[in-house]
Amino acid sequence: MEHKVLIANRGEIAIRIMLACKKLQLEFVCVYTKEDKDSSHVSLAKQLGAEKSVYRISSYHDANEILAVADESGATAIHPGYGFFAEDYRFARRITERDRKLIFIGPSWKVIRELGDKINTKRIARSLGVPTVPGSDRPIYDEAEAEHVARALFEYQKAQHIQRPIVLIKASAGGGGMGIEEISDIEVFKSVYRRIRNYALRQFKDEGVLIEQRIHGFNHLEVQIVADRSGKNPVHFGTRNCSVQSTGLQKRIEVAPGFDPETISYTFDANKVLQEITQYSLAMAREIQYDNVGTWEWIVTSRGEPYLMEVNTRIQVENGVSARIARIRGQAGVDLLEEQIRLGLGEAIGYTQEDISFEGFGIEYRIIAEDTTKRFTPWVGTITRFEWAKADWLEVFTHIPQDKAYEIPTEFDPNLALGIVWGSTLAEAKERGKAFLERLIIEGSNSKEEALCANIPFLIEKTNTLLQYTFEH
Amino acid sequence: MDIEKRIAFLTAKLRYIEDIFNGKGSESITALQETLQEVTLAYENKLPHLPALLDNADQVFTTMEATLDTKLSAMDKVRIVRHSQRICLRDILENVYDNYTEIGGKDDCNIDPSMIIARAYIKQEKGDEVINQQVMVIGHEKGHGEEYRNGGSAKPFGNAKALQYMYVAQTEGIPIHTYVFTPGAFPIEDTPGAAQQIAKNLYEMSGLTVPIIAIFSEGGSGGAEAISLADKRCMLSHGYYSVISPEGAAAIEGRVAPGERVAPEVIEQCASSLKISAYDNKSMGYIDEVIEEPPLGARPFHYDFFKALRKTVIKATNEVVLSVKLFSSFRSRALQNVDAMQEGDTFITAWKLSSRERRKLLRLRYKKFRAMASSAFVDNRTPLTRMHQFVMQRWWDFYSYITHRILLSQKRKIANILQDVNAEVAVIGKGIVSPVKKMLLLEYNTAKDTSKHNLVSLSQWDSSSNKKEWRYISDKAKEDIAVECPNAATHGCLDMWAPDLFGEFAGVCMYCGHHFPMEYQWYYHNLFDEGSILEFNQKIHAGNPLNFPNFDTRLEKAKKSTGLDSSCITFEARIDGIKVVVAMLVAPFRGGSVGAAEGEKFIRAAELAGQKGQPFIAYVHGTAGIRIQEGVNGVIQMPRCTMAVRRYIDSGGLYLVIYDTNSYAGPLASFLGCSPYQFGIHSSKIGFAGRGVIKETTGLDIPPDYHSVTNALLRGHIQGVWDRRELRNNIKQALSTFGGQDLYYR
Repeated sequence: MEHKVLIANRGEIAIRIMLACKKLQLEFVCVYTKEDKDSSHVSLAKQLGAEKSVYRISSYHDANEILAVADESGATAIHPGYGFFAEDYRFARRITERDRKLIFIGPSWKVIRELGDKINTKRIARSLGVPTVPGSDRPIYDEAEAEHVARALFEYQKAQHIQRPIVLIKASAGGGGMGIEEISDIEVFKSVYRRIRNYALRQFKDEGVLIEQRIHGFNHLEVQIVADRSGKNPVHFGTRNCSVQSTGLQKRIEVAPGFDPETISYTFDANKVLQEITQYSLAMAREIQYDNVGTWEWIVTSRGEPYLMEVNTRIQVENGVSARIARIRGQAGVDLLEEQIRLGLGEAIGYTQEDISFEGFGIEYRIIAEDTTKRFTPWVGTITRFEWAKADWLEVFTHIPQDKAYEIPTEFDPNLALGIVWGSTLAEAKERGKAFLERLIIEGSNSKEEALCANIPFLIEKTNTLLQYTFEH
Repeated sequence: MDIEKRIAFLTAKLRYIEDIFNGKGSESITALQETLQEVTLAYENKLPHLPALLDNADQVFTTMEATLDTKLSAMDKVRIVRHSQRICLRDILENVYDNYTEIGGKDDCNIDPSMIIARAYIKQEKGDEVINQQVMVIGHEKGHGEEYRNGGSAKPFGNAKALQYMYVAQTEGIPIHTYVFTPGAFPIEDTPGAAQQIAKNLYEMSGLTVPIIAIFSEGGSGGAEAISLADKRCMLSHGYYSVISPEGAAAIEGRVAPGERVAPEVIEQCASSLKISAYDNKSMGYIDEVIEEPPLGARPFHYDFFKALRKTVIKATNEVVLSVKLFSSFRSRALQNVDAMQEGDTFITAWKLSSRERRKLLRLRYKKFRAMASSAFVDNRTPLTRMHQFVMQRWWDFYSYITHRILLSQKRKIANILQDVNAEVAVIGKGIVSPVKKMLLLEYNTAKDTSKHNLVSLSQWDSSSNKKEWRYISDKAKEDIAVECPNAATHGCLDMWAPDLFGEFAGVCMYCGHHFPMEYQWYYHNLFDEGSILEFNQKIHAGNPLNFPNFDTRLEKAKKSTGLDSSCITFEARIDGIKVVVAMLVAPFRGGSVGAAEGEKFIRAAELAGQKGQPFIAYVHGTAGIRIQEGVNGVIQMPRCTMAVRRYIDSGGLYLVIYDTNSYAGPLASFLGCSPYQFGIHSSKIGFAGRGVIKETTGLDIPPDYHSVTNALLRGHIQGVWDRRELRNNIKQALSTFGGQDLYYR
């Protein structure tokens, strides 16, 4: 392949893309901003022999600048990583439709656009018979209709013998918890609806309101889908359970596979649920001709009902944990990033679902610069030492340099490192996970060092109850 | 002493002549100068034959003035009306009316010294009968060179004052005499703005139920229109009435840079080709009567002229009053040979109207203006289509009369009564009339109960229609370039890719919301339901009614480059199923300027909307004002269209105006600015005169956001600012909320 990949990202994911490119013997171009000049993704790029292909830009968000670098360096493809342009269909459209066309390593822009909108995803899922959270699948503008839906939702929950039925009213254009309220009584519907509608009109200039059933406690599961450009033969790389999250819905621990019915007893048929969500995800991917790597996010209620939440049309942070337990034709060492680049550049997938098998359990820990004791507020400072005990069951990805102090840039998300452990059983994986955490050394320059180190006891505590169905939310 | 006065008088006369001919020497002027010199020499040397010389000089001046009068060019007449020796409104008040009281003014101590109001009366006698005919006199005051009069350029609040006293006249039931002595309105955007107030004046005057007589001396564009929508329009023979001052026209025609002077020949040329004189206007039908002035124009010492003027205003008022009276044919005929009338009047008509006569007055006023400028545009309709349209129009007239006037109003009356009865009965027992009500299908404004929404079952999804794709994509979206937002420096906007910006974002900066200009086609195709557009009156083309030099070729060029035949597109369309009539002023065709064709199309659209009972939307993609090359044929569209709109609104219609890009001058100061519902698109500009004109006429430097849409909102001109991407939704929302029970389109 005669391709040159521009890596339009930073930190851990940039490093992994570089390594994947190296393995695929592709040339690559790396960009960084002035805050990131000490980041190890820059030094690694130089080490890997791409000194001339490291460009400084003013912002990872500026498409014009990135495209200027692409043209200057002669890149033929852009890998967006995650965040930044990863789910920006306009960027994908722009680079694939401009005069000097580039390859967007990710799904085609049309797919990103269809699935980038949660409401639209819900509508597509419904039309294909994929279960979604009961409620409206389009913004409602009419008060009478809204009340009708809310009333029907209460009746529906009553019929399901849900003891405390709750209905969520949320602004369809909102997000991040803004403009959402819940009601437990239809009597108050009107006043709450009007409040939300007026708020939405003020904030988002769109009166549309969504009305949904509020799911009380649920587990957050994901299905990893991989497909080639033909979009015809997608495969899945198993499930993940991402129920351990901090308050900002930031995932902290991911486990693959999603449930362990062998050792843990569930109130529902966990095997069947896993089966269902993978089948539904695959069917949907096939139907919309999904053509790269993506993740179907599900919630599973305490009654064992899976509901599709959204589709992430990008490589995810936690892709490593799925890769860790996956075997292609019995071979370990799967790298989903490598697959993504290979398929993104147009190669055929080359294997079928039957060729993929899974072995053991993988746990991924995210070390994040936040204060776990104080409602996960961001931690700011300089990290002077970051070390871990190496082991063959452990992989650690980090952009923190090992040889010098690292000041955490405040401009970006505070992900510091990922630790992936593997064990042949869940118990073994948990033990190894705890062993990794106990021997992890983090030292910060700042007086609030303990706050950062509080990450470790928090993660250890959560490890004890992994995959047991808990009501986190 | 007497001799000195006479010499001074002659000196003033000579200076006047020199001024109006503006240094163009001619034999007659030299002769006059020599005559005067002779007199002055004789006076200095105290020669005995001085009185004889003076008498001779008087004679020479009189004959020479008459000779010179025949040589007046159009521009000389402009200089006459602007001369400080010209009669002004206060001279007229002194000499034409028998008594008067000026209201709200003491020289410069006045809210606007360039607009004065007076309550006056004219004494009419017949035998023993004496009657004081009360009138409200409203007019521009130029004064004799007083600076504070501003040359008769009324400010917005001056026009507001005029309107206030028109209301007073209406309440008191007395006629209004307006005197137009203005080179144009003072182009400031105060609270209210110039355009806003003129539009209001025009709108209210078109419904004023007292006779209005307008006398023109200097009628400059919008400023003149603000008080001249009259039942009778008379003009002084040396006056001018024009769309723009000849200098302004020359500046535009000659394409001079700001601050540069235009060559006098160009101004002269423009003045004559604009056909601004009294007789030109009379022959085009915009003036009903020309009042003959003494040679070289009336000055305060021409007492005979005042007498004639007095006679004319009485006659004009009588004519208007008699035209609406039931029994008036003999008196009307008697008026025809008013010149034969000697001192004292043969009959006296009270200038007061009954309510029936008032309605008739409005009808006649509309008819009068509707008939104007009917030959100033090119009508390419075949005789067959003309006949067809005529028949259709009659049919729609009949239809709307039956449905809206008779059926709907009766139905509403019954509904109201039934509602009252029902409410009364409901207090006692059950509503007994509801079956009757149901039978008559009188329930309106009740929300529909939607069918039960299934919460978990399959829903519709169609990959092609679910995403917002504009039906029309601008050509600008085909280039692979990054576009910089003008607000980038202040708002930190990143450059946007043209296909994104002009395609998906509809020309709106995704960072700061700045609206880049878009083609009118974008609105044409994206605002209305697909396939619902039905254009009409396409055969009415813009023409060159004044045979303005070189204009034909330029018009052809505009027609060729835009594929349009006028800057106004009128069509019927639907917005989410609601039928509307739309008039669109498009900027690419000669700057969206309005001439006779555009005005005619606009009026027809308003009439159609009224006949069909549909909302009327004026979408202004951009307008630079009245098309100056059409002269008064263009400027007369201001009152014409405003009256059509007023008629439409009074009959129960909903008139919505939307401004985009740049909207300036005449149209804004009349039929657009009078709408109760006007909305601007973000980043558009709304105002009366542009920066250059303001600098030229007032010497003021305006801030860059002077005409911005937010400032228009602040001064109350528009009622809201809309986002382009949400325009369709907003119009729909407006249509569903503004349409009350009395608006007939619902």
